[in-house]
Amino acid sequence: MLGPTPLRDTYLVAGFELREMLRSRRAFMVLGLYLAIAAVATYVFVQFLAQLQTVVANPATLMGPPPNARAGTTPTAPEAPAQAAVVTPAAPRQDALYGRRSPFRGMVRNMMSTPELADFLLNLPPISLFYFTTSLLMVPFLIMITASETVAQEHQSRGVRFIALRTGRVEFVLGKVLGQGLLMALVTLCSGGMGMAIAAWKLQDFDFMAALDGTLLFWPRLVAYCVPFLGLAALASMNSSSVVSARVFSLGGLVAMWVGHQFARSYADTPYETLGNFIDHLTPYFYQNDLLYPSYQQVGAAAAALVGLGALYIAVGLIFYRRRDL
Amino acid sequence: MNTNPAFESALSLGGVSKRYGATRALDGIDLEVPRGSIFGLVGPNGAGKTTTFAITCGFLRADLGSVRLLGEGPFDPKRHRGRITALPQDAALGRDLTLADLLTYLGQLQGLRRRDIKSEVERILNLVDLTDRADHRTRTLSHGMLRRLGIGQAFLGQPELVLLDEPTNGLDPRQASNIRDFIAAQRGTRTIVISSHNLHELESMCDHVALLDRGKVVVAGPISQVTGRNEEVSIILAAGPAPLAEVRTALPGDTIEWEEGQRILKIRFAHSADRQPEDVIGVALQTLLHNGARISTVSRGQSLERTYLELPGAAARQLPPIPPEAARSAGKNG
Repeated sequence: MLGPTPLRDTYLVAGFELREMLRSRRAFMVLGLYLAIAAVATYVFVQFLAQLQTVVANPATLMGPPPNARAGTTPTAPEAPAQAAVVTPAAPRQDALYGRRSPFRGMVRNMMSTPELADFLLNLPPISLFYFTTSLLMVPFLIMITASETVAQEHQSRGVRFIALRTGRVEFVLGKVLGQGLLMALVTLCSGGMGMAIAAWKLQDFDFMAALDGTLLFWPRLVAYCVPFLGLAALASMNSSSVVSARVFSLGGLVAMWVGHQFARSYADTPYETLGNFIDHLTPYFYQNDLLYPSYQQVGAAAAALVGLGALYIAVGLIFYRRRDL
Repeated sequence: MNTNPAFESALSLGGVSKRYGATRALDGIDLEVPRGSIFGLVGPNGAGKTTTFAITCGFLRADLGSVRLLGEGPFDPKRHRGRITALPQDAALGRDLTLADLLTYLGQLQGLRRRDIKSEVERILNLVDLTDRADHRTRTLSHGMLRRLGIGQAFLGQPELVLLDEPTNGLDPRQASNIRDFIAAQRGTRTIVISSHNLHELESMCDHVALLDRGKVVVAGPISQVTGRNEEVSIILAAGPAPLAEVRTALPGDTIEWEEGQRILKIRFAHSADRQPEDVIGVALQTLLHNGARISTVSRGQSLERTYLELPGAAARQLPPIPPEAARSAGKNG
């Protein structure tokens, strides 16, 4: 008899979870659902980009007549590159869109906390940014709907009783979460690929390699962002007796986190600020913006916090789960 | 609960109680299951059999009382993994993996060596007659096949204690007979606790039994003792003479009862090394035949079914108390 270890058991449960999801086509359903949503959203965005490309190709509609034209003077040195980008047919449309004087750039710089962050983001392919930002919105809901059933399903069918005699409850839950995490990593990667494929199909002069770089830059950050939501789904799932109640609890938890985050933002500079900050630190939304930064140190800290938050949710769930009747 | 370390007990429950809201499922159960025995757990629906199993396996937590498994405290997956297995009631095995994959997974979790797993899975599939279904998904199996698979997984590896909740429920007679034969063949090699409503089945397989009612152990002990097999002989006489006085004279000190309607002669006697049931039967038959009686049937004790049917009411209390040695080996009234 081998001496099984918690890690080995976790790995075995995760592998079984993945295999069963693939066999039952649950994985394909999750993937299909996510890809369908991503495809529609990306298609709409790419259509918008294509229209912008058209607009950018006509400088008059984007920026109005150049000031020097109105004044009848020669263009000054700093203005020359932007104008050249706009009027040269072979120039990348993205450069024209993000030109130093473009209103889009100004808008983004105003939205971002620092000009450096705005510049970093504006240097990335828009399709990669779109992939990341839309995934930040979609992933929590997808996880709550799909991952919340994973442990609850075993309770509902009582299949957990076959496992509980062979491994610990902690290993069982961690294996389930790991299996779901691997599935989400696969799904988010595929959706990035889907976005790039649509962009390559619909956009002129699409720089595939730049978009791939951008997607691969954001993908690990997205995976880290999934962890607390997987933790929340696991917390709800391990303490529910049915799939339906697990979904209700996890979606309720998601809404509660979002409300907590909004509360913290609304009550800044008020006597409730400390409470709001405390609550906010316990939600993944607090760390969301840090994932956009170019600094690996900052991103690493945010990712670590997100993983820690996921671990915290799971640990809270396990406190009750270890004592509950199966 | 027996605390004598010399006493080999596979499962020991001491004063275990469990409530579900206002319902008391177990009410201070004491039970000792000797190692190597095949132990039957009998009782009507709601008696607490499944709850007893679930607490033993660690699925449920007892409100009160203590559980010792294989002499090592309550169930702990680190300590008991692979040593205790179970066929839980109404639990579904994974639906989308093949039988071979599922058993491999369970075997791996149980800690079986990788090189042993393939042959072990083959052995189990052969045992439950599902070899030809090895590559089918579990959801394609019939109820009876799933039951057999459930029994099979409980015998993966070399478990020391196996708990089977209604193992032959839903099996066809041939499969049920095969499973009974297999379980009976395990006597002495491992401890098996079986819950069942099929009392004939339990009587044929088990050497110890506990009868539960309303969350309490009503009677427990070696099956021969519970059914009075070593302390009671019943002789059914055909129409004709019934020489009761002669029998009473031939068996002084024994209790002789006569049921006129069914023409049953019951002889209760004290069992000892010098006085076996066969000796009593010999004397009784000799006396009856010598006095012209015609013998229809001779049996020892009463069936488990009859014992069970008589239990919850007033008749249950007429059962002889369990002698100290039986109480030591098989629990006592809760």
